[in-house]
Amino acid sequence: MATSKLQALWNHPAGPKTIHFWAPTFKWGISIANIADFAKPPEKLSYPQQFAVTATGIIWSRYSMVITPKNWNLFSVNVAMAGTGLYQLSRKIRHDYFNEEEAAALKE
Amino acid sequence: MSFFKTFINSPVGPKTTHFWGPVANWGFVAAAMADIDKPPEMLSGNMTGVMCVYSALCMRFAWMVRPRNYLLLACHASNETVQLYQLSRWAKGQGYLQMKEDKTPST
Repeated sequence: MATSKLQALWNHPAGPKTIHFWAPTFKWGISIANIADFAKPPEKLSYPQQFAVTATGIIWSRYSMVITPKNWNLFSVNVAMAGTGLYQLSRKIRHDYFNEEEAAALKE
Repeated sequence: MSFFKTFINSPVGPKTTHFWGPVANWGFVAAAMADIDKPPEMLSGNMTGVMCVYSALCMRFAWMVRPRNYLLLACHASNETVQLYQLSRWAKGQGYLQMKEDKTPST
């Protein structure tokens, strides 16, 4: 029973024998790289890059549902990308715009 | 005029997500271009390295997905190029590409 289910997965049109599997699987690397960069100081983050990651994640979550074959792996990875991108953006914005107010208040 | 109409109504045209997904991915290329002169210490080796492998895989994906997506293919070919360049800048900045002093530089 288990063998045939595994076989079904193995032979799936979006399964591990196809690029439909590996491209989205590797896309997790972008989110993992971003999570590794959570430790980076906000000054070193790139607005253009994080914005691109977030926008891509959001649009692709939709795209993955209308291509053939439908791709849940791609969907989930893009949701994760949008999430990490938004978090990095919030870190940098908080640092650039809200710390300034605190620093200015401290100076006075 | 009719070419334009054909484009607008195409199954991979701007009324569909098959168009806007790749447009979003051009964001990676635009971001890399915006960061092209950034000092190498500010580049993320993690992200750039991942982008290089990722765009190579996505070029194949764009070719095999149905409908076949040339816009996505072009986007990832461009991204691959610019990310490899940024990766080389980062690597040089980290000291990975330092060879013997007498070797002729490739660029």
